[in-house]
Order: sequence, then C-alpha cells, then structure tokens
Amino acid sequence: MNDSDPLLRLLIDFFNLPPDTQPQEINQKSVSSWDSLAMVQLIADLQGTFSVDFDLDEIGALRSYEEIHRTLSRKGVPSLR
Amino acid sequence: MNLVRSWICNFPEPQKTSITDALESASLAKIRPALRLLEDLSADQRGPILNVELLSTFNLEPVLPALQLALNCLPSRACLQLGPLDAIESHISQRAGAESRKPLHARVIIWRLEELLPEALYPFSTGFPKQLAARVEEVVQRVERVVGLHQTNAHGVPLFLSTIAFPVNFSNPVFAAQHRAGLFSSVGRINQKIYELATDNKGVHVVDLAAWAAFEGRAHTDATLDFMARQPLSAKGQTAFGLFIARSLRPLIVPRRKALALDLDNTLWGGVVGEDGLAGLKLGHEFPGNVHLRIQRELLELRNRGVLLVLLSKNNEADAREAFDALPEMLLKWDDFAARKVNWNYKHENLRHAACELGLGLDSFAFIDDSDYEREQMRQSLPEVLILNDTPDPLHTLRSLWETDAFDSFSVTDEDHGRHRDYAVRAARDVSAHQDDLETFLKLLQMEATIEEIGPSNLERVVTMLGKTNQFNLTTKRHSRAEVQAMLNSPGSIPLALRLRDKFGEQGIVGVVLAIPIGQNSTLAIDSFLVSCRALGRGVEDALWTAMIDRAARQGTRKLQAEYRATAKNGIVAELYDRLGLQRVEQSSSSIRYQLAPVKRRAFPSWMAVTNQSNER
Repeated sequence: MNDSDPLLRLLIDFFNLPPDTQPQEINQKSVSSWDSLAMVQLIADLQGTFSVDFDLDEIGALRSYEEIHRTLSRKGVPSLR
Repeated sequence: MNLVRSWICNFPEPQKTSITDALESASLAKIRPALRLLEDLSADQRGPILNVELLSTFNLEPVLPALQLALNCLPSRACLQLGPLDAIESHISQRAGAESRKPLHARVIIWRLEELLPEALYPFSTGFPKQLAARVEEVVQRVERVVGLHQTNAHGVPLFLSTIAFPVNFSNPVFAAQHRAGLFSSVGRINQKIYELATDNKGVHVVDLAAWAAFEGRAHTDATLDFMARQPLSAKGQTAFGLFIARSLRPLIVPRRKALALDLDNTLWGGVVGEDGLAGLKLGHEFPGNVHLRIQRELLELRNRGVLLVLLSKNNEADAREAFDALPEMLLKWDDFAARKVNWNYKHENLRHAACELGLGLDSFAFIDDSDYEREQMRQSLPEVLILNDTPDPLHTLRSLWETDAFDSFSVTDEDHGRHRDYAVRAARDVSAHQDDLETFLKLLQMEATIEEIGPSNLERVVTMLGKTNQFNLTTKRHSRAEVQAMLNSPGSIPLALRLRDKFGEQGIVGVVLAIPIGQNSTLAIDSFLVSCRALGRGVEDALWTAMIDRAARQGTRKLQAEYRATAKNGIVAELYDRLGLQRVEQSSSSIRYQLAPVKRRAFPSWMAVTNQSNER
C-alpha cells in the first residue's frame, strides 16, 4: 500500500480492498460494495478527513479515485497537490 | 477519548491502538478495520452480549459502524438492529409478535424536529401561533403513546427516548425565541414531556440528544448529507453520537463505582498541611482556593448520592483532623468519609484495608491523588482501581470529576441516599479503634453468634468465602462447590459456619471451618479455617474453634492436625494455632504443621452469646 498517498490508503481501508490495489482500479463500477449507502459514508469520511465541503455538482463526480483526487486537489488539499 | 481509553483498558494493544485511531480520526476507513480486529478477541474479552434496537425518524444506517464500534468499547458484544425508517409505532406493534427473535436488552428511539414537527421550522406557513401550538400538543401525545405502546408490547425492555435537539438549519433564530409557540419553546415543551415520562415510568430513560448537540455544537451536523440521505451527522458527529449513545446505555451492563478514595493535600485544599501549616492552606472563594472548594462541592454531591468517600492520606492524623476542624471553608467534614486511613503506610495497602472494612471489591473503587508517584503505585499494585486524574493539577482533578462516567447511573435510590449512614455503622464496628479496652468494646457490640452446619442453606456463601477470603485464611484452599459437597458427605467430617449479628444488625455467615477425618485413629485434619475480614478482631475465630473442638471431642476424636500455609496476604494468622494452644510438629518456610492431642473442650468467649445449632448430624 502506498502510505504516502492518504487518499489511496483511505479508499483501500474504506472498501477493504487488497493492499496492492492501484489507483486506476478504484471506481464505482469495479468496487462492488460502492453502493448508495457507501457513497453517503464516503462523502462524510472524505469531508471529515480532508476538512473540505463538497459542492452539490462535485458530489455527482466522486465516482473514482481519479475524480476524487482531482476534486480534492482543486480544493487545495495540501497532501494531494 | 479518556473515557473510551478507560473502557477498553483491558483490550490487547493492537485493538486499543486501532480503536483510538479510528475514533480520533472519525474515519470509517479506520472504523471498519478496528471492528474487524475486535472479532479476533474472545467472548470474555469482548464483554457481555447487548442486543439494542434502534428506531429513528431519520436515517441511521450510515452511522451504524460508528455506533457499533462505540458500543463494542463498553466493552460489549453489541448487536444492533435498525428498525424501518420513521415507522416507530408500527414497528413496536409488529415486533411484539415476533417471539423467535433474540431478546432485546434496550430499545432506543431517536427522533428530531425535522420529522416530528417540521411545521415548527416554518411557523408562518403553518398557522402560527394557534395551529402550531395544537400540533405541538399532538406530538406530546404521540410521544406518550409510543411509551405506552412499548410498555404494552415490550414490557421489561429498557426504553431510551432521545430528547429533540434544537435544529441548526432554519431561519430567524431571534424570533424563534420570542414566543411560547416559537420553535425553541416547542422543542422545550416536547422535551419536558420526555423527561416526565422517564421520571414516572420505571425502565424509561432519556438519551439527551438536545444536551449532547449543545455540547457538540454545529460541527456535528452536515446539511449536505442530510439532503442526500436524510442523515444529518458529519463524520465527527457520527463517532461522537456513537460514544454518546454508548455512554447513555453503559449503566445497563457496567455497575457504577461505589467508592472514591482520595488524598488531602493539593486535592481538598491547596498546599501541604504538614509543611505549610493551617495558615498556608488555600481554600475559599478566591483563586486558587475556589478550585479546591469546588472539588469539595463535587465530592460532597457524590457522597450525598451514595458514593462512599474514603480518605487516603500520608499525614499525621492529628494534623489532618485539625485542618478539618479549623478551616472555616471546609465543606467536607471528617465524618463524611466512610473510612479514613491517615497514616504513613502505602496507599494501596490502606485502600485494600478500607475495601475490606467496607465489604467492597477493589473494582468498586475510583482513586484521585495529586502525586504522580502515588497514582502510579496504585496503578501497578491494584489495577482494578480506576484512577480518575492523570496530572497533579487541581483544575484537571476537578475536570476529571466532571467528565468521569465512573458514577453514572439512571437513578438514585433511597438505598443510595442511606448508604453513607450504613457504612458509618460498619465503621462503628471497627475494633481497631478500641484496642485499649477491647473486651468492654466487644461486649458493647452485643454480638450473637450462631454455629450452623454447612448445608444447602449456606453452601453458596461458604463457597464464595472460600474463593475470596485472603487474610484470615489458614490454608487458602479454593474449593469448588462439588469439593465442599464431597467433604460434607464424608462420615465424621465437621463442617461448620458461624453466623453473626450485633446491635447494628445481621452480618451473615462470617466464619467457616472444615475438618475431615483421616486415617484410622480417630484423627481429624483441619482442611480450611477462615473468617471474613469484616468480622476480624472480634473473637469469631475463638467461638468457631470452640464449637468445632466441642463437636470433635464428643465424637471421640483423639488427635487433631492443622496447618498454616503462608501466602502473601495471610500473615495475620501466622500464629493463630499457637494462640489456640496447638503444638508445632513441623515447620518450613511456607508452612507450619500443628497437632492437638488430647482434644479437650474449651469455653466460648465471654463477650459473645453463642447458639450452637450444629449438632444434628
């Protein structure tokens, strides 16, 4: 697991994925437990962990590692720049 | 978090670290691994089963992992069952018929204004004030009906009703406070009913969500999640909510601590009486004496609601006593302490003696001391004792009294109110304070001993005593019930128990002797001889020994064998058999063997009326 990437680590722990899961493998289609309940829990977790608030149009885009990474980077989360 | 740390103090290190990390981060990505790690623990480590049903007007499903982890920390093997969303009455009615389900240990109802009374958020669109006031009364009646429905369908299951938290997302909070039909008053009216229902109905308790939300502030909410999923709690709010529910339910499975042991200097007053003198002590209405005064207020409140206070101080007793008498601002009086140990002995030894005098287990005690050394020594010597403070700072001590859950309970009973008086009576029985004229004191106690045969009526107590008595115990043999029963069945055995009462009341079985025949030469061996620590120093052992000898002589016993087996705790009986006139026949570092031959009858103690009911075999 890449300990220097807090988002990757969070998603691996959150969805209980194998430790060597690559970022590009993490999206709503490939992770079976990523349902609507998990979505609500994930948003709470991301907002709490990275101290951000998502706008409504951002929430709709949070469906993969890449999209989440892009959104958080845009919000200026320091560890993801 | 300090509370959780004390709840999980017996968990192994990996679980402790994982749980602490999960709760501090409030991240579900850490909560889930912590929950998985808990599954590695044995049932004993995980605590009792706790089946909890949750009914809510909003969506609690996303919050379940945080709630599950918090309840597991109690510790408990919590099993959460979430009822259908906002269908409280129909679920309570339907569940009553489902007898095959597992037993419920608690039902928790969480409701909020947004679903119960949304009109209150838009008063002028919904007939303010008259129509709105009428709707508030309907909600009050609904709450009452829910309690009635629960009592009818789930009688005996503790019911926890949440109060209504003040909403944070609405407009015009200034106006909301101005009218009796306004939003804040409406919430207050409903909550008032909830408090009344808990007051008037046994088994109905309040989970005060309104107070919790006020403590937590706006940060516990998340409007985005509320709109998305009707789940209004932020990530931090979810773990805080879980811990709050867990603490609210904790008295169901964890008894409160019954006693608080504390020191004097830098706790009850600022300064050290032996060094600073009375004039140098800080106690009063000015800073920093007001902190110590407030500590005393909190302690007095604890005492008045049934927590026994025990004084443990390394001081000259005369100095300490003088401070109690002379300091005008002292709120606590010398007699407010159920036991006082003011001397230069180790505090853990003093606490052990106090526990013995009060008839309490060590796990009934909490402890406060400003000295890092004393706290650490207590922690090492008596790990069962809960240490409340962890720095010398008096304000920290005060905070630890405010924040601790050690004394949490749902109610305060008449028994709690009277507990201090009962224990004062115990203290009045304490023989150690009357060594100068012991026999006169013992006669004043008007003791009546009844010698009983050990049998079905007292076997349970005898086995318990064998398992727990450490000090006055000659052999410390921890016999099981079956082993004692086998001795009772052995022909020629002498199994006796001594029941004591005195002018203060019944003390129960306080002494046990078990003698069994060995060999062919009319010889008896003393297998066990023990006296409860609450009856030490009163001659109970003399009465019991005399009764046993009397019986042995009558059944033709020629020789009696006995043994003292030394342990770390039974030094007080090292020479008992010498005092009773037995001869030493063999001695090693860990035991002394004795015999008595011939076996001659002896007189009962003069200060005790003895009734012998044991001659029926």
